[in-house]
Amino acid sequence: MAEPTRDFFTGLAEQHQPLLEGLTGLMRFDLVDGERTEHWYVDIRKGDITVSHSGPEPDCTVTTDLATFEAIVSGKMNAMAALLRGAIEIEGRFALMTAVQRFFGVPRDMPDVPAAGYARRQS
Amino acid sequence: MSDVKILDGNTFVVSDDRGDIEASLTDPTGLFSFDTRYLSKWVLTIDGQRLNPLSVDDLQYFETRFFLVPGTGTVYIDAKLSVIRQRAVGGGFHEELTILNHDQKPADLEVRIEVGSDFADLFEVKDDLKKQGEYYNSVDDGRLLLGYRRDTYVRETWISATAACAIDEHGLTFSVHVEPNHEWTTDLHVTPGRGVGGHSVAQPKYERHAKHARPIMELSLDKWLDEAPRLACDWDPLNRTYQRSLVDLAALRFSPVSLPGHYLPAAGLPWFMTMFGRDSIFTSLQALPFTPELAKTTLLALGMWQGSRTDDFRDEDPGRILHELRFGEMTAFEERPHSPYYGSVDATPLYVVLLDEYERWTGDVKLVKALEHVARAALAWIDDYADLQGNGYIAYKRRNEESGLENQCWKDSWDSISYRDGRLPGFPRATCELQGYAYDAKMRGARLAREVWRDPAYAERLEKEAADLKRRFNRDFWVADGQYYAIALEADGSKVDALASNNGHLLWSGIVDKAKAKAVARHLMSPAMYSGWGVRTLSTDESRYNPIGYHVGTVWPFDSSIVAWGLRRYGFKEEAARIAAGILDAAEFFDGRLPEAFGGYPRELTKYPVQYPTACSPQAWSTGAPLLLLRTMLGLEPIGEHLIVDPALPQGIGRLELLDIPGRWGRVDAFGRGRVDVEKRPRTRLQLGVIQPEKKGGR
Repeated sequence: MAEPTRDFFTGLAEQHQPLLEGLTGLMRFDLVDGERTEHWYVDIRKGDITVSHSGPEPDCTVTTDLATFEAIVSGKMNAMAALLRGAIEIEGRFALMTAVQRFFGVPRDMPDVPAAGYARRQS
Repeated sequence: MSDVKILDGNTFVVSDDRGDIEASLTDPTGLFSFDTRYLSKWVLTIDGQRLNPLSVDDLQYFETRFFLVPGTGTVYIDAKLSVIRQRAVGGGFHEELTILNHDQKPADLEVRIEVGSDFADLFEVKDDLKKQGEYYNSVDDGRLLLGYRRDTYVRETWISATAACAIDEHGLTFSVHVEPNHEWTTDLHVTPGRGVGGHSVAQPKYERHAKHARPIMELSLDKWLDEAPRLACDWDPLNRTYQRSLVDLAALRFSPVSLPGHYLPAAGLPWFMTMFGRDSIFTSLQALPFTPELAKTTLLALGMWQGSRTDDFRDEDPGRILHELRFGEMTAFEERPHSPYYGSVDATPLYVVLLDEYERWTGDVKLVKALEHVARAALAWIDDYADLQGNGYIAYKRRNEESGLENQCWKDSWDSISYRDGRLPGFPRATCELQGYAYDAKMRGARLAREVWRDPAYAERLEKEAADLKRRFNRDFWVADGQYYAIALEADGSKVDALASNNGHLLWSGIVDKAKAKAVARHLMSPAMYSGWGVRTLSTDESRYNPIGYHVGTVWPFDSSIVAWGLRRYGFKEEAARIAAGILDAAEFFDGRLPEAFGGYPRELTKYPVQYPTACSPQAWSTGAPLLLLRTMLGLEPIGEHLIVDPALPQGIGRLELLDIPGRWGRVDAFGRGRVDVEKRPRTRLQLGVIQPEKKGGR
């Protein structure tokens, strides 16, 4: 059922991300789903992203429940507001989360045109 | 009772002159951090009695000392005791409480600190709104904990003392015994315990081994002052204003959560200690020749938060640079859109302007490369998202009708944009200075594309667009019968024809046709616009002109400094020097700290600048104004690897030296000599902008 989450992470790793070129660091998302916790490791190396389910001690850990995360990546909930509410907890390098939040709620089918920046306005 | 404020970044304490805090929901005293009040009550009593203030020492902007005595406040105070509260902010705050016994016999006292917190959001303090969550207090492990919970939102304040005390849920009680001529002391710590992200928002920032806790802030202030260029001037008020500006700018520094240890200028102290797109960019521009690292942090932080989605509540678009970021409860629950809010239209083009100006000064090509995508997205936003009138101009109209900003340019009050006859235009509004910023952003973006990003095709495209914009602008905004640019354009193409200071911003941007520049400069220096202290936001000839109207007649030092820069850009050196003279004279009346705005009354009428009442002082871009005016007076301009100096000093300044100006050249000195010697009359305060009687001609 974790489609939006998986889509988000695989989408992030699918291509080089110019927006993350200035960053290197390992993030771990701990997504709590009842008794179970999904771990997503996002390894950012100057715009190249690797996603996996295990890894060493991360530079930044993001903890939230799966439903909240799904709402965020699909654009129904704002990540910063959720963070201020305590619905998300962050430990470690905040900058990694600030950088990655730009990808939340951005439709996958929007063309990424580096020359023009982001997506065009939808009419 | 006067307010005493100390601060470190977005953490600040406002108390009365006894050091006590007794806030109500509407009374803005307390310990604030991340836009939340963590302490609303902090009252000291000795044997049940309140204390009386003898004096307050504002030691530094982050540190203050209260001298108090017990007593009822009658004329005769027989003080056998004195009390010193030395308070420093940093993380939360730290207070060293000392009681001195001047009596011949020992004193046994009950010292009590009563505490409480309402955990109000700054927005609630401003708007008097009611809380929706629950409070809880507890005492554990020698610590008093005050808490507030609303759903998953939790904020806590932790309070502890070094001396033995009894702690209950409402305060700390010390049973104190002080021998004759001895003293008793305790350290008190107040820490925002849980905050943003679920963890302690900040560790107290003190040197651990110092005998007296010395905030780390003080060390960084020394370093800050040490690294700034040194000023020497024979007109002494300028030296004081310069020092004041540097110290105030240090106080206005704000370290974003994402960039710990790096600082950008917040907008104003204390209520606007947060990232603002427009204010942070303008202040960084003004301060570039002095403290280029402010610009760097501003560019990095605003870049990180660049818009990436279409979000109507936040007025967010892809590529847009934020307006304001807030951390309080109302933002958390989306009762306010500041997470962040994107409702300004000038911050995005100005971002590109700052990036280019920063590189021209510092040669930091690495940053320009790192921010290439941000800059490109910002430039794309201008054409793809900001053309709300469909005519190729930047315009604004909020999508968040509930809590968004109606006016998204710097003159953001309801009546700031008007026709000569006072009518207000509809929305979307395309104010003129926005088109100048867009032009400048494209021209500067083209330079960066060519020289740093190695994309000549993109550079060419931007230059072509800029040239086209300039041509259209000079046709569509020019008020031919008045010989100036209209303040705005309506969607139907009507020129909103009031004459305003925005014309000076147009000179700064370079969008003004050379042939029209003289007429624009003449207007800016005319009695209708130039008050003698600075340039009025709106001409006295307009129907909405009001010398104490927020954006319709007052003089804004920030605005005037940009106008002076614009005049220099088009070669009007003497006019720029006259504006510098007026603003710097005004600064002296405010002890070197220029307010946000002052009255637009003619100088001959009031003899002193009449302050416009505002809650926020110092304000960042007013603090930056004297710095930019130093630049315009000395004619500092980075060209290639060199700094060009082309001084034009106001009468009254004979010698002006700015030493160790940092930049791509390392450090260089700039010298200016006055052209006209002014007779210094003894016992008369010498002002720069007063034209000497013999020069007045026939008057």
